[in-house]
Amino acid sequence: MNAAEPARCMRLTVDAEPARLADIRRFVDEVGTVAALRSERLFDLKVAVSEACANAVEHSGGNHAPLHICAWFHSDRLIFEISDSGDFRLPGAERRGQAGTRGLGLPLMAALMDELRIQKTPGGGTSVSLCVRLT
Amino acid sequence: MQVDSTRLLDAPLIEVAGEIDHGNASLLTAAFESTIDEGADIVLLDLSDVTYLDSGGISAILAAVRHLRDRGWLGAINPNANVRRLLEIVGLSVDNGFRVFADRTEAEKALGESSES
Repeated sequence: MNAAEPARCMRLTVDAEPARLADIRRFVDEVGTVAALRSERLFDLKVAVSEACANAVEHSGGNHAPLHICAWFHSDRLIFEISDSGDFRLPGAERRGQAGTRGLGLPLMAALMDELRIQKTPGGGTSVSLCVRLT
Repeated sequence: MQVDSTRLLDAPLIEVAGEIDHGNASLLTAAFESTIDEGADIVLLDLSDVTYLDSGGISAILAAVRHLRDRGWLGAINPNANVRRLLEIVGLSVDNGFRVFADRTEAEKALGESSES
């Protein structure tokens, strides 16, 4: 592969609302098929992307702000970037009050993905980056 | 996703088909709550036709396990390999309030043993 060749990308923009999670999974299916992911890795990726999006939905405060999902194809890995305009909240004290069944999303993403990165974006939003190695 | 409530021997059996996610897990929570409100000590959950599960569904299952743990258990029947792996990651496979059965016959056997003890 030519090092100067830019990575290919597939994009999806949806309203941040729970009803769109199924559409997001179909998008991950498409990307996974293009990347020829094994079925169990595709399942892991669907869960991880879904968790990142669910977190964004939860913190969008019901304003249905757009959620941008971008899948980057590199030679040896597939990277999903999920960007929103709200704050990603780590599972902390406020969530423990809900009897410990919330806040599973982050541990699941960490367990299922090869790399996980969460960054603040300049506009006050959050970007979650999920990486699956293809080799 | 579709949720049906039926029975296996004397135990309530919740049958789920399709994809369980944050958008619809409340249906599963409602099904669990109605069986637990009726006083069930053992609840069965048939996952044979569940193709996808995220932390929304896992939270619903964990909440049911927490309610049942001191007096009984929740038995998951025939989760596919991917769903089973997720249940293991969140620690349910080592929770004494949670059991996994390969099929309904295995679940029936466990129900029989529980009623004898």
